[in-house]
Amino acid sequence: MLKFARNTLAGVCRKDKDTLSVHGVLEDDIYGLEVDLELSFPGLEILSVRGEWKRMENSQCPRAIPFLQETVGFRVDGDFVRKVQKTVGRKACRHFADLIVECGDAAKESVRIIGVEEAKVQKFDIEIGDLFVKPEKRGETETVSPRAETGQRGEEPFAGMLIDIHVHSYPASPCSSLSVREIIEEAKAAGLDGICLTDHGYLWNPADVEELRQKHGFLVLRGNEVTTEQGDILVFGLEEDIKGVIKMDELREKVLAAGGFMVVAHPFRGFLTFGVGYLGLTTEKAMARPVFQQVDAVEVLNVKVSAEENNFAAQVAKGLGLPVTGGSDAHSAGEVGVYATRFPAVIRNERDFLNALRAGNFSPVSRRNR
Amino acid sequence: MPNMLCFSRNRCTTVEQVDAQTLRSSCRIQDTLMDACVEVLVKVPDLELVDVKSEIRRSDIGGQIGVIEDVEKAIGSRIGPGIKKIIRGLIEHSPHAEQIAILFEECCNGVILSFTKDVLVHVPKDRAGEKESFTAIVRANPRLYNSCAALSADSPLMAGVELERS
Repeated sequence: MLKFARNTLAGVCRKDKDTLSVHGVLEDDIYGLEVDLELSFPGLEILSVRGEWKRMENSQCPRAIPFLQETVGFRVDGDFVRKVQKTVGRKACRHFADLIVECGDAAKESVRIIGVEEAKVQKFDIEIGDLFVKPEKRGETETVSPRAETGQRGEEPFAGMLIDIHVHSYPASPCSSLSVREIIEEAKAAGLDGICLTDHGYLWNPADVEELRQKHGFLVLRGNEVTTEQGDILVFGLEEDIKGVIKMDELREKVLAAGGFMVVAHPFRGFLTFGVGYLGLTTEKAMARPVFQQVDAVEVLNVKVSAEENNFAAQVAKGLGLPVTGGSDAHSAGEVGVYATRFPAVIRNERDFLNALRAGNFSPVSRRNR
Repeated sequence: MPNMLCFSRNRCTTVEQVDAQTLRSSCRIQDTLMDACVEVLVKVPDLELVDVKSEIRRSDIGGQIGVIEDVEKAIGSRIGPGIKKIIRGLIEHSPHAEQIAILFEECCNGVILSFTKDVLVHVPKDRAGEKESFTAIVRANPRLYNSCAALSADSPLMAGVELERS
């Protein structure tokens, strides 16, 4: 017997020469919803939208319906999915967002088909495949280097360092809304002694970071949050710009060769949904996960996960005898320094930082109620 | 002329319990231009992907027809919050990468929703019971708070719920 089933339908017809009419249906064990969109042809701008619940998860789901109107005026282009997910997905309902995205994609395909049909009528030699642009390869987009700031040298750090070793800055991490300047200001206000920039797939230039340190008189270190098939890994001491996803074995090899250090980030970060917490994952079973055999430490305090998930990570690390760290994983204001890592040793630069990590002499610190 | 469809799409996702520790989730798209599917085997409780298969059965938009082997790179990954990034990173250079990624993500989504269903069947239908249940659910998973209109701060379901992350 099926444990779950979902059917999504999208049908497009040409209402008139300037308008496409799209009907979408999402029907699964939990949800039943429909949308009707009208889009301009061939510009694919949403002219009107109407949504309706047939079955829903709870009595308040209808509150999502008015937000659907925010998509009117959206154009089905390269930014369409992001815009729909950001408006409808976050404010209203992600299932409606998914269905509107599906309808938009169906409308886009229709434009191509109509183009071919019209070309045939005009006896042009064209096939449907000719209208599909080959997808751009990801990872080839040039990332703009975050501007380094200049200034004066600050004071020497003192013994016993409190460092947030997991922060994300914009634009190096597009998902972050914090500039490096804002991070440093927040870190200073929070009483930290330093930060480590761990942007996603972005290798900071050492000279730029040194300039930041001098300008703000504050310890700024470099790391990286690397995506592997085993999840996200904080990497320190690796001078390689790793884009996209790398195999854990390959990353481990590179980091060992470079004398670096690896921390598994938020290892039990859960889902934006119900139920998975009821899976019955035990500490013993979790300890057997391959990722823990290939890291030097475990992040057990992270703002983006629940207290239970942090506690579970701590239990697993304890069971495996692995060192533990804390870091905010800050992406927005108010998050820097909520969690940090305390190093009894003096850390003035990346060499000190790596030495302290390798020595295993550090501990996670919660500063939530400071 | 009747109002005939110029494009039609059907995307079907199913999740079945193979045995006590294994789920099979598959997603197939059939539309005017394409027929393709992705199937994953998932071990619980880790939600580890132990097998992944994909095939393009028909494509009128060009590109490879047949088995897409790149998806196998995801074997060993865990269905978790970062899985979309992992999938897209692993198959970015595959034929029909965008559509295969969507099918793969739907397989993962189906697995998660199958567990959601297990929880929701216990929510009472009366308003008081519903509020009590959703309050407990959101307290257990604070990320759900403000994640949609129904669970927004001003929703009656969330009245009196004050949360502090971790």
